[in-house]
Amino acid sequence: MNGTMSKRKRLQKWIDLRFPLTRFVKHELTEYPTPRNLNYWWNFGFLAGFMLVMQIATGVFLTMHYKPDAAEAFNSVQHIMRDVNYGWLIRYLHSTGASAFFAVIFIHMARTLYYGSYRAPRELMWWSGQGLLILLMATAFMGYLLPWGQMSYWGAQVITSLFGATPVIGDQIVIWLRGDFSVGDDTLTRFFSLHYLFPFLILMGVVLHLVALHTVKSSNPSGITLHAQDNIPFHPYFTIKDFYGLGLFLIVFCSFVFFMPEFFIEPDNNIPANPLQTPAHIVPEWYFLPFYAILRSIPDKLGGVIAMTLSILIFAAMPFLDRCKVPGGAQYRPIYRVMFYVFIVDVLTLGYIGSQPPGGVLTTVGEFATFIYFASFIILPFTSQWENRLLARKKDLPKEALKLIRDEVEERYGDSAREDMQ
Amino acid sequence: MNCRPLCLALLFASGIAHANTVPLADVTLSTDADTLRRGAETVVTVCMNCHSLKYIRYRDLLNIGVDRDDLNLWMGDKDLNAPLLSLTPEDMARASYGKVPPDLSLMTAAREHGGRYVYSLLTGFYTDDDGYTNNHVFPGIVMPDVFGYSFAGTKEDQHQIENNAADVAGFLQWAAEPNAGLRKKIGSAVILYLVILTALLYLWKRRIWKDVDHDTGNTVRES
Repeated sequence: MNGTMSKRKRLQKWIDLRFPLTRFVKHELTEYPTPRNLNYWWNFGFLAGFMLVMQIATGVFLTMHYKPDAAEAFNSVQHIMRDVNYGWLIRYLHSTGASAFFAVIFIHMARTLYYGSYRAPRELMWWSGQGLLILLMATAFMGYLLPWGQMSYWGAQVITSLFGATPVIGDQIVIWLRGDFSVGDDTLTRFFSLHYLFPFLILMGVVLHLVALHTVKSSNPSGITLHAQDNIPFHPYFTIKDFYGLGLFLIVFCSFVFFMPEFFIEPDNNIPANPLQTPAHIVPEWYFLPFYAILRSIPDKLGGVIAMTLSILIFAAMPFLDRCKVPGGAQYRPIYRVMFYVFIVDVLTLGYIGSQPPGGVLTTVGEFATFIYFASFIILPFTSQWENRLLARKKDLPKEALKLIRDEVEERYGDSAREDMQ
Repeated sequence: MNCRPLCLALLFASGIAHANTVPLADVTLSTDADTLRRGAETVVTVCMNCHSLKYIRYRDLLNIGVDRDDLNLWMGDKDLNAPLLSLTPEDMARASYGKVPPDLSLMTAAREHGGRYVYSLLTGFYTDDDGYTNNHVFPGIVMPDVFGYSFAGTKEDQHQIENNAADVAGFLQWAAEPNAGLRKKIGSAVILYLVILTALLYLWKRRIWKDVDHDTGNTVRES
């Protein structure tokens, strides 16, 4: 017994002389300080990481049986579904996984918005997350072409044609993206290649995201930097909490994979791609619907494309737009809280409108929802400053809380801010 | 954070239904062994005169309990590993109908409520005022009324055709995803396993957090 222990110790020492393994585990896990008051909304970062690993793992196995060839792609997916051992499971994990990945990421973003975690000093985390979102969207979009069904084909046709709105060189860009005048075999092979490459770019992005996280540490529901005694080590407290959350997540995820896998697959995508026959109603995957609705709400093509791009990129402006000096999230900010929920309802409304054929009253609602979407960001500098004044006047916060808030504000923003608050 | 509004919102988002323009017959299809066997017989001896099921092989039919002697009769001189191809060559079909009849392997997966769609289509034939055969589900359909629903004389005949249509729809549902049965079987075990695992993880979590949990609240509480 003693002998094996010392053997282990000796091995550890041998490694530590050459690679900082023990130091790394201590610094990033067993002694990594994590706020004790994190709630379950903080589980979604870990879940996003899990989904990335799952998508890469299932994707690697799918690649062993998939054929990126316009004549064979659809057949090879059926080969996976019918002939490959548990191919159906690998494919359903991957196709449902794409939806789960976005669901997790959207909740992760909503948490960040609700609790104001994008604010100083976590701007780089927010921006790296923004980059990851765009990479994820590109990856999902290109992956959706690979089954080579009707919706795959026409979805790619519609989205790539959007780049044609670019002034002067629009047509050239579209041909460059497709490798042909319309979506075809060349498009499929390049999308396949990039769909395999991008997840590894995402992986690198996640490493940057985590390095930034371990520099600034996790935010927490109170919004203030906790005293040392209010932090607990990540391991074992948050490893077990993350695993428990993972269990809950997997129950929901596997319910879809095993009992409703076709929920996320459009019936039209079970018809092989046919360039001569346009489906009656082309819809993108659900995770693109709000942005698709914004695109359609602007009558001008170029304007629509710009609005859609902005609707994704505008999140990056949050650290500049939010002028509120009150630490913590929407739970301490009456106006921002209302804005948050209005925004969530607005995005869901846009999602519904994106799923419907355009026309009639829905177009009007879509235009209004698009207006609310951008207005939510544009009025934030004003409402957040108004909130500063409002909350400074409020007398019914507990004294301890006020003191904590003031100290924090002073430490972060200096004396002038303190005068604002008083 | 009060999670109720968000949960409701997610529920709403997941409920986005696809508009269905065709009123389909409200029929519950069974996929038991007898249905599959009868459906297989009708599909192979009737539908396959014009349609293919290219992702199904004759061998697959053994797995759903088709009799080996019946299968030999259907196969003729074809191999057990041969796909179920139409008896009408594509160019001949194109000459007669103007198009190749669609492959049926994925028919129920490629339509909204696919099984009910197939059933409703097969029992949707009627004779219009001008004496032409048409279809409620697919107006202007090229396919003839093979089962003769539009000119079935008696209620009994109609009932027989409805049973046939249900068998075909059930069989095509199986054909669209032959592994669906296995999937659900494994799924039940997986969910059971995950529920137990998650319960244990919860207990483990409580144990580890025992010394912390008495104060999970925020450091700054909202009064």
